Amino acid sequence: MQKSLERQSGVQKAVVSLRDGTVDITPKEDGQIDPSQLLKATYDSGVTVAEMDMTATGHVIHLPSGELGLRVEPNRTFPITPNELSKQLEPMVDASTAVTVRGQLYTKAAGKVKEPPPLLHILILVIQGKG
Amino acid sequence: MHTRKLAFLVLLGSLFASTARAQVKHVEMRVEGMT
Repeated sequence: MQKSLERQSGVQKAVVSLRDGTVDITPKEDGQIDPSQLLKATYDSGVTVAEMDMTATGHVIHLPSGELGLRVEPNRTFPITPNELSKQLEPMVDASTAVTVRGQLYTKAAGKVKEPPPLLHILILVIQGKG
Repeated sequence: MHTRKLAFLVLLGSLFASTARAQVKHVEMRVEGMT
């Protein structure tokens, strides 16, 4: 699985901990990494992903659907799942300053082994910094 | 004239720096069924 993940575009390093059941992925300097591809590569290697978290810096935008989104690259935006923390990001919509957040991209439904959803939403867990 | 050019360059630079900072910094997965 480690080799499979390290072959994915944008991955600098993947560290697998058998004891903890965790995988830490460090993106390359440019940060151009696709979390949905990492999920797929992990599933394809026969391992079930229970949860995926991401730390990212991006710009808060309004999506055409009316949801907030976190744009981490010009062509990659994660819709933000509304919660108390996401409300704190609303004043930053279309601001030129970036925000760094830690959020949950995926969590497996209890008792089910299923394919990950094609479009990952981010549930904000921590706002680490603004500007 | 030079001041306006300088201001424009500073504005452009700050916009570029802001865009360049946007990136995924770390991804962590909790997995099951790993041997």
